[in-house]
Amino acid sequence: MRRAPLFRALALAAALLAGCRQGPERAAGPEAAPRKPHRGGTVVTGWTAEPGGVNSLILPSTQVNNEMLFRMFLHLAEEQADFQQHPATLKPQLAESWDWSPDHKTLTFHLRKDVVWSDGVPVTADDVRWTWQMQTHPDVAWELADAKRWMTDVEVVDPHTVRFHFSRVYAKQLLDANEGPVFPKHAWETLPVKEWRRNGDWFRQHLVVDGPFTIASWQPQQQIVLQRNDRYYEKEFPYLDRVVMRQVPDQASGFTQLLSGDLDYLPQIAPADAPRVKASPRLQLIAYWFNIYVAVVWNTENPLFRDPEVRRALTLAIDRKTIVDTLLGSYGKVADSPILTSVWAHDPSIHPWPYDPREAARVLAAKGWKDTNGDGILDKDGKPFAFELITNTGNQLRSDATVMIQNQLQKVGIRATPRQIEFNTLAKQTMSGQFEASMMGYTIDTSLDLRSNYHSEAIQEGSNYPRYRNPQVDHLIETAAAQPEIKAELPYLHQIQQIVHREQPVTFLWESQRLTAVNKRVQNVHPTATFSFFNLKEWWVAP
Amino acid sequence: MLGFLLRRLAASLLLLLLVLTFTFFFLRLLPGGPIQFFEGQKVLTPDQQRNLERIYGLDRPLPEQYLRWIESVARWDWGTSLSQQRPVSTVLREALPATAALALAALAVEYGVGLLLGIASALRRGSAFDHAIRVVTLLLYSQPAFWLGLMAILLFSYVWPVLPAGHMRSVDADLMSPAGRLLDLARHLLLPALVTGLSTAGGSTRFLRASLIEVMSQDYIRTARAKGLSERRVVWVHGLRNAVAPVIQVFAISLPLLLSGVLIVEVVFSWPGLGRLTFLAISTRDYPLILGSTALSATLVILGNLLADMLHALVDPRVRDA
Repeated sequence: MRRAPLFRALALAAALLAGCRQGPERAAGPEAAPRKPHRGGTVVTGWTAEPGGVNSLILPSTQVNNEMLFRMFLHLAEEQADFQQHPATLKPQLAESWDWSPDHKTLTFHLRKDVVWSDGVPVTADDVRWTWQMQTHPDVAWELADAKRWMTDVEVVDPHTVRFHFSRVYAKQLLDANEGPVFPKHAWETLPVKEWRRNGDWFRQHLVVDGPFTIASWQPQQQIVLQRNDRYYEKEFPYLDRVVMRQVPDQASGFTQLLSGDLDYLPQIAPADAPRVKASPRLQLIAYWFNIYVAVVWNTENPLFRDPEVRRALTLAIDRKTIVDTLLGSYGKVADSPILTSVWAHDPSIHPWPYDPREAARVLAAKGWKDTNGDGILDKDGKPFAFELITNTGNQLRSDATVMIQNQLQKVGIRATPRQIEFNTLAKQTMSGQFEASMMGYTIDTSLDLRSNYHSEAIQEGSNYPRYRNPQVDHLIETAAAQPEIKAELPYLHQIQQIVHREQPVTFLWESQRLTAVNKRVQNVHPTATFSFFNLKEWWVAP
Repeated sequence: MLGFLLRRLAASLLLLLLVLTFTFFFLRLLPGGPIQFFEGQKVLTPDQQRNLERIYGLDRPLPEQYLRWIESVARWDWGTSLSQQRPVSTVLREALPATAALALAALAVEYGVGLLLGIASALRRGSAFDHAIRVVTLLLYSQPAFWLGLMAILLFSYVWPVLPAGHMRSVDADLMSPAGRLLDLARHLLLPALVTGLSTAGGSTRFLRASLIEVMSQDYIRTARAKGLSERRVVWVHGLRNAVAPVIQVFAISLPLLLSGVLIVEVVFSWPGLGRLTFLAISTRDYPLILGSTALSATLVILGNLLADMLHALVDPRVRDA
């Protein structure tokens, strides 16, 4: 808990010292690099977590797992990084095209005929069907199996045609059919399914891929070396020979390694480190809006936070702009809705509630909260307005924010006590409702499905952490999901946002940019809100 | 000597069982569990959680889980890592050489430096050199290993970039010759070994100094000098042999400290050993891996103690006769 600031201080000190040595390198700017992509070379990237294996069906769907595996195994179609401008578009990948039946319950994919596994065996419809069977197998227990719940069958029409049958029509059908990469039936079906979760190594030993990269070597806790898959169907890609995924103990250590030249690429750096990157002649800073917002979750089953007006008063009493300006500077903005302000479906009529402690005090007084005993804390029926605000350890930004909120709420007579707990414990407590207020990060699904966060059924089966119940919101979420396409959900999504904004089951704090640092010798790097390695096959380095 | 060894072995096995039993049940008191969550990860439904618990046998009553685990351990099956879906024994086997290399190197630094400085300090008792050694070793001893590690990285990887800041090998080590790889390993090993060894060398230095000063004032040392033996022979043969016996006991006591120091330093230096592995296993509540790692660490400590007892018995006949 105390190491984070220490590491940061050291990183800063090291950065300053390293910077002194780097002065003469200023001449080697990006202008020196040729513009034409060059084939060959190695890029060393730094990661604070290690992928758990090569079979994503038995792994948690974490960022680092997906970053690597989605460069090794193809999907039927590749979801593009344009979900902020409009519903995410899908670009043909393993499938060259697809079409719907008139009743929109059957989706037929036409597979490319030139895609082969790295052992030379063609990728066929059998692989697609077998993958679906494994995705839905109870002994595999794939954590995203829910995406397949409305599929009744995946039918092999011919080796290069596969048909998905649905039991109902809904907006995410195509996204759900495309969920998860396709795996090699011929290579992996020999291991009994019951053995899968005990033999993660087996899949690595029997690895065949159809994506642009495969694994050259894997040194646990050290590094994974990805190398070009020479049988990849797009012959011009990837440009790089090798990509090294090197383990770093934490972000700050990774940053020092980036400055010293040991790393070429760090997917995420702290905002405080951004000036150093900007000042470095060797490095480039890439900032882009990320698909996470941070909020204070009020447990609406707790009597303190049951009343929407009281929750709104709490929001009015928290100076979110000052928090954002102090902690994130220009790399953040105040959030105001469960749909990020940078996303097409965000309701433009919604704006953040202002910071208005006087109005907050007035509302609270109207609700009976007064300081009757002169201790500086509001009370009602003999109970003080005091609660614990929990957040996870290892996140200095959130830890600092809880302290700022504590001070701001103190001014209106509310005692919030910040406490940091380990993430796993925080998640358990928050999910089971054993908390008062919790600072959490919410990841926005590209399909903009708000069900898991705000539908009352998600209290038990999802991540409705505030335990928010509103029949109107439930109805709107269900109506939106039942639309035949995501674009048609817009009016319902707007209504949901307006209600949530009014009732404040959570106080939206901030949206932030992700800051990626990359050595200028690495060209054509375009990380997205969903993947740092999104266009990895197109990266290249100057000779 | 055999009887002594067997008695100590039996006691060590019992101790190991107690450590593991305690760890097994204590782990379950921690909040959270191995069916865990990562930020950004899809939240598992209760059905999915129950299904995973069934697959991993975590749905069984705790005493049954314990008995099953003990039974499989007796068959030398340490179970499957829940976070890596690989046999625990494989995961540990991969990590052990790195920790062993670091621990042995750190031990060499600790006792090499400790012996040299301890002797030098004892022989120059009260001098400026003695005071300087005392201050420096006390300073090193009082610093947490992780802090020393960070300082070492700052100094030797950034201010004077002569050594790597972490990891066990360079990115391109695969492409090096065998000799090159060995040299590369040595370069990576130097800083963490120095940090771990020097942070504990203060203890062995001071202990040996005190022990040697005491021994050098004994009558038999005066007799040896009176017999005309050279000072070098007096110190190294008659003095050191007797002074080192208590240090062996300190060695046994300091083993757990050394091991825990190594585990922390591993995290600071991204050293791929048991330390980082255990750290990650605890944070993911990977019960089988935590138990396997605990068993391995406990075994190393117990074996170290056993070794120290045997060495002590070798240099001191009173111990083995007792």
